[in-house]
Amino acid sequence: MTATPSTATSTTPTIRRATRRSLFWILAATFLVLVAIIGIALTGSALSRGTEFSATNPGPIGSMAVAEVLRQQGVDVRVAGSFGSAKSALVARPGSTLFLYDSGDFLDDTRLTEIAGLARDVVVLTPGFAQLRAVAPQVAQAGTVKRKVLRSDCALAAVAKAESVTGAGRGYRVTGTGTVATRCLGSGSRVFSLIRLERGAHTITVLGTTDALRNEHVAERGNAALVLNLLGANPRLVWYLPTIDDSAAADAPSIAELTPVWVSSVMALLVIVAIAAAFWRGRRMGPLVIENLPVTVRASETMEGRARLYQRGGARLRALDSLRVGTIARVAAQCGLPRLATVDDVIAAASAVTGSDPRQLRSLLLDDTPRTDRELVRLSDRLLELERSVARSIRPA
Amino acid sequence: MAVSGRFVLLVALGVVPIVLLDDPVWLLGWLAVVALVGAGDLILAGSPRSLVLHRDLPERVRLGESVPSTLYLANAGRRRVHGIVRDGWQPSAGASPGRARLDLPPGERRAIVTTLTPFRRGERRAAQVTVRSFGPLGLLARQATLELAGAIRVLPPFNSRKHLPSRLAQLRELDGKTSVMIRGQGTEFDSLREYVRGDDVRSIDWRATARRTDPSTGAGPQLVVRTWRPERDRRVVIVIDSGRTSAARIANEPRIDTAFESSLLLGALATRAGDRVDLVVYDRRVRGRVQGATGAELLSRMVNVMAPIDPQLIEMDWSAVPGLVASITSHRALVVIMTSIEAAGASQGLLAVLPQLTRKHMVVVSSVVDPTIAEATRERSNRDEVYRAAAAERSALDSSRIAAAIRQLGADVVTATPAELPPALADRYIALKAAGRL
Repeated sequence: MTATPSTATSTTPTIRRATRRSLFWILAATFLVLVAIIGIALTGSALSRGTEFSATNPGPIGSMAVAEVLRQQGVDVRVAGSFGSAKSALVARPGSTLFLYDSGDFLDDTRLTEIAGLARDVVVLTPGFAQLRAVAPQVAQAGTVKRKVLRSDCALAAVAKAESVTGAGRGYRVTGTGTVATRCLGSGSRVFSLIRLERGAHTITVLGTTDALRNEHVAERGNAALVLNLLGANPRLVWYLPTIDDSAAADAPSIAELTPVWVSSVMALLVIVAIAAAFWRGRRMGPLVIENLPVTVRASETMEGRARLYQRGGARLRALDSLRVGTIARVAAQCGLPRLATVDDVIAAASAVTGSDPRQLRSLLLDDTPRTDRELVRLSDRLLELERSVARSIRPA
Repeated sequence: MAVSGRFVLLVALGVVPIVLLDDPVWLLGWLAVVALVGAGDLILAGSPRSLVLHRDLPERVRLGESVPSTLYLANAGRRRVHGIVRDGWQPSAGASPGRARLDLPPGERRAIVTTLTPFRRGERRAAQVTVRSFGPLGLLARQATLELAGAIRVLPPFNSRKHLPSRLAQLRELDGKTSVMIRGQGTEFDSLREYVRGDDVRSIDWRATARRTDPSTGAGPQLVVRTWRPERDRRVVIVIDSGRTSAARIANEPRIDTAFESSLLLGALATRAGDRVDLVVYDRRVRGRVQGATGAELLSRMVNVMAPIDPQLIEMDWSAVPGLVASITSHRALVVIMTSIEAAGASQGLLAVLPQLTRKHMVVVSSVVDPTIAEATRERSNRDEVYRAAAAERSALDSSRIAAAIRQLGADVVTATPAELPPALADRYIALKAAGRL
């Protein structure tokens, strides 16, 4: 070994060098993540608009304004978060008003009837088909109300005081002929945005004007008067917006409850194993060794290109002439003619050798013009045949 | 750092405690165990950076043959290096095996033999050696790529050397060493020898016969004939075109490789025949030049010069060729030009300078013809093939026209398929020599 025994230079960076080299990117990534976290924390509350008609939502679509004004007027507003708490609040304080807004049809019929029966007055906001069937079967949905303003048109105190309200929301219709109901805020074709049914001491009010309750619009027109009188009729109000936890299906055991505890841990472990396996198979043994490869040019490419050019351009005569020149040269060589022999010499020699008609040979070797590809192929076959017959005649074997 | 299959298996084994003890905490616990064991293994692995490397390598190899390349690794570190080594050769060096196992205690040295079977001519290089050193448990490894340059020159194969013995026999016949004699035609007087049956009677030297006859013994007159040998010490100048047309492949061999084969055979033959052979590879610059070498040294210098030359994607500058030939020899010489004659436009330059060369020298233009062209003219079973045959006839016609033009300018043309061109050119040389036209 002639080389001095010194250790070889390594091109793989050590951990320290790799860290130092990528320090900028690590810092930049950390900075970006921090900025993102802070940004989300700051704007996160503004981004989610909160629950609609929630008594605790101060946003444009909430209804905190109504609830707060009612509290100031001495109404005991109790916000119920679940079916159980709503029920116990109603039971504990009989003679309450129940404000119910079930946007997702979470409550089933039995629960709806049960809770509606506990309250003295029930105000149902934009109920769907299932809710109407349980609470007010005489009322049916009648589509969307698009009018901007609805005038007061009934003797109901709340409506009369309001004089005019924002109309946007849903419309309802009373079905059955003998039904006793107060129909208010009509928008034509017997569609009403407020319908009150009386059941002894209880009342059930179906309310369709959604905008009137929102913080955004509650101060407009007589919206406040309508809503406050409607909900403040009794000294106690239970404000209940059912959630998915109140649905009957929530009682069924979830997948997480059915599976053993270790399943999720094992799945996490499998993900880690997959990552480790990717590193195992993916780490290569050093960088590639670069090599300049020569270009590969096939010499026959020009020939192929010229053939395609002939074919696409329909240059039949030109193609045939090339074939004829080749045939004439070979026949002349076979017949022993000198290199400078004319075509006529070749025709004469070939006809003498094969005994074929010199005029036919002349038309084959000079005059015929192929009009179609079929003719071209036929003539080319005849040229080959001529070559073969000359060869046979000269060398009979 | 690198991970082994054992490490993945170890991580996967965490399923056992997680399922048996049925507590999610065991996931973290197992990962901690794995991390601890892995870190210990990694720390105990020998450092690949502490290796001392040395590569023992032959300088050159003929294309198609195999040579061993030995890599010596000495461990200058304190821990045993146990793992895998990859000797980083270029792909066309044909290194096998690509990976080798290594178990190297501290202070010792091991040799790893890699067999190189290059499949491309030229300079094949190795850039680095990558060592992956596993810990005692074989879980994690330290990996480093160490710089260690190496190069081997892959020479042209000279497959046509199989034609050499028969052509040398032909040369010896010319030399007058056999009974067949060639008289006249400008050959040189060599020696006198006894007449054997079959000799040309015209070559009997009567004066020498008379002198040989011994009067004392009275034995019959011993007829003596003169023998002749072909001229010696002629010049052969081979000019190889390394321009863009030489890059084209015919029968999966670039034109320039065929030219190399032909010039090697011609060089071997001509130097045995006592002629001086000079070689120049040219496009717009001289890419390689062999001058003033004879015998075995000529061939070895020729292959050495040819090995790294690749065709350049530029046009050949023919106008400089007469000057180049003049710079090599001022005497009459056989100038062999290895190029391609296929299109009239591309051969204009050659045709323009040929008169200057033929005025003083014997010029032979050698060119490869594509065997697929001859095949294509015969296959005419459908429309596509008829058009193809027409194009083939056209290109055959083009090259035969150029060949005729070259002959008119006083030069000679040799064309053949890649396999047949070297012997064809050798035969032409022997024919010229026999005719005394050198």
